[in-house]
Amino acid sequence: MKLILTLAWRNLWRKKRRTLISVSSVLFAVILAISLMSLIEGTREQMIESLISNTTGHLQVQDALYHDEPSMDHSLEYGEEVKRALEKYSGRIEYTVPRIQGFCLASKEMGSRGVYTMGIVPEKEEKMNGLVSRLTEGEMFSDDDNFAVIAEGVASLLELSVGDTIVLIGQGFQGVTAAGKYRVGGIVEFPLPEQNNTMVFLPLKEAQWFFAAPDRLSSLLLMTENENTAAETALKLMNELDEEWYAVKTWEELMPDAVAALEARDAQVKIFAWVLYIVAGFGIFGTIITMIHERLREFGILLSIGLKRAQLSVICMLETIFMSFLGVIGGIAIGYPLMLWFNKNPIQLKDDLADVMLDMGFEPVMPFSVAPDIFIYQGITIFIISLVIGLYPARKVFRLDMVSAARK
Amino acid sequence: MKTVIKTTDLSKVYTETAVPVHALKNVNIEFKEGEFTAIVGPSGSGKTTFLNVIGGLDKPTGGHVVIDGVDIATMKESKLFDFRMRHIGFVFQAYNLIPVLTAIENVSFIMLLQNRPKAEMENRAKEMLEQVGLSDKLDVRPSKLSGGQQQRVAVARALASKPDFVLADEPTANLDTESAFNLLDIMAKLNKEENITLIFSTHDHRVIERARRVITLVDGAVASDEHFERAER
Ligand SMILES: Nc1ncnc2c1ncn2[C@@H]1O[C@H](COP(=O)(O)OP(=O)(O)OP(=O)(O)O)[C@@H](O)[C@H]1O
Ligand SMILES: [Mg+2]
Repeated sequence: MKLILTLAWRNLWRKKRRTLISVSSVLFAVILAISLMSLIEGTREQMIESLISNTTGHLQVQDALYHDEPSMDHSLEYGEEVKRALEKYSGRIEYTVPRIQGFCLASKEMGSRGVYTMGIVPEKEEKMNGLVSRLTEGEMFSDDDNFAVIAEGVASLLELSVGDTIVLIGQGFQGVTAAGKYRVGGIVEFPLPEQNNTMVFLPLKEAQWFFAAPDRLSSLLLMTENENTAAETALKLMNELDEEWYAVKTWEELMPDAVAALEARDAQVKIFAWVLYIVAGFGIFGTIITMIHERLREFGILLSIGLKRAQLSVICMLETIFMSFLGVIGGIAIGYPLMLWFNKNPIQLKDDLADVMLDMGFEPVMPFSVAPDIFIYQGITIFIISLVIGLYPARKVFRLDMVSAARK
Repeated sequence: MKTVIKTTDLSKVYTETAVPVHALKNVNIEFKEGEFTAIVGPSGSGKTTFLNVIGGLDKPTGGHVVIDGVDIATMKESKLFDFRMRHIGFVFQAYNLIPVLTAIENVSFIMLLQNRPKAEMENRAKEMLEQVGLSDKLDVRPSKLSGGQQQRVAVARALASKPDFVLADEPTANLDTESAFNLLDIMAKLNKEENITLIFSTHDHRVIERARRVITLVDGAVASDEHFERAER
């Protein structure tokens, strides 16, 4: 056994260039896999983050019936019980975003249009999704103001500009008719048409008054540390709340369509990953084949003078294991700082691509993820692939015809 | 004298080629212990094939090769590996040595595979390298040795484990005249001192006269088998 180890070890260092080429083929495969997966995973994280901050938040505390039938009658009573539960897990919650919302008819003399009226706390929205910075005209209200800020699409459809008046009619709590007249104090622009053509914002208090629902919310959005701890926090909160009256929904429950789309994308990524592995595998295979053919005579002689085929196979395997290991470690050692660098200094996208990203509500950068799983998983996968490929020389040894190999 | 190898009606036909090649035709030869034999004959006459078959590297298509009372022609491959390692020494035309091992490690290689005790192995390897005149090259790798020196290490390795016989296929083919004679002299000397049966093939008329028995193959058949008395050198 010692002899076999010695032979394997020394073979590695005999032709340093050859070893280096094999190690590099594994190394590049690892770096390639890591970079692509880091980008894919980074994009995924970016999409989820953007979805969460632009729409639902990580969690929402709602009335138990609101999810199935989102009406003002199923609004949440934001009272002691909810506050106590939130207090208990305040360590898990970064901040809360209260909202009250409902469909209304918005009109000016010219005509009318269905809009979504949302009562908000501007500082909280700003923190969550940068709403205030979307202002293109006018100003954002503060808590005690009573003017409206409307989306740019609504403004142009109803031919409204700052200083004009918008009339809102909708349904309030317990069937009360909600009606109000508000000065348009500011206009915000959204990249997504669904939002841009429908949103009308009021200060939270004003909106509660408008919907005849003081102290009530449609939902209380909770922002946790990250999306991974959300589900756990939801469970903990639910333990504190009466199921008959309250529900805590995760972003996944709130956006089933988006989750399905993400899953579909993950399936595509898997196929793509396998294509990548096959390409990388062929690269490694190529180097190994050339190596073996250089050594066939040597193998023939070793087998002729008495080394067993199994022993020679073990030598080949050991060499492969060692080179793969070195390649994987090297690949991660280079790949990780590289991804970290791109993570901290993202590549900025330009021109059309950047516009598309902005339109979809994303930052126009190539996001690279540095989630540890990527490095571990890709490293192990390429290691296994190169081991499987390393079986080829071992198999070749078992089939080698000594006479012709030694003759060449 | 004891018979080391006995072939009966040994034949080998290569059928992978378009026209089957009869490389050996009913060869009947006996080798006695301590013989020093040259196999000669024109190119393609079957010398390499003969050595491969009696060395158990290749299977005959007919006949028997009996070594030490065992017919290796019908032996299973897995058993043959062990049999070769214990009974037969090999010297090839070139590239005999394991590049990553030093001269002394190369000479010890087969004894290592045989699990000989370390001390015995080292002494024997040193002794053999001394015999072939390379006691100053113990820790040198093959790439630092000349062609003749490499072949001498290969001879030392083949004999170190004290096999029943040693087969050498054109061991001098890649050597200049002086190195070729030198190698053959060393082989002749070891054949005497160690009483190991040596069979080598050659094209080379210069070295044939060192042998005490010369078998000539023509077209895969024995054309002549002569014994000579050689003066001691
Ligand atoms: N693997 C093979 N397949 C087919 N024919 C072969 C094979 N090996 C050898 N032969 C043929 O068998 C015959 C004997 O070949 P062999 O190599 O034994 O001759 P040789 O005497 O060693 O020749 P040389 O002096 O050139 O080394 C030749 O005609 C050769 O072409
Ligand atoms: Mg030959």
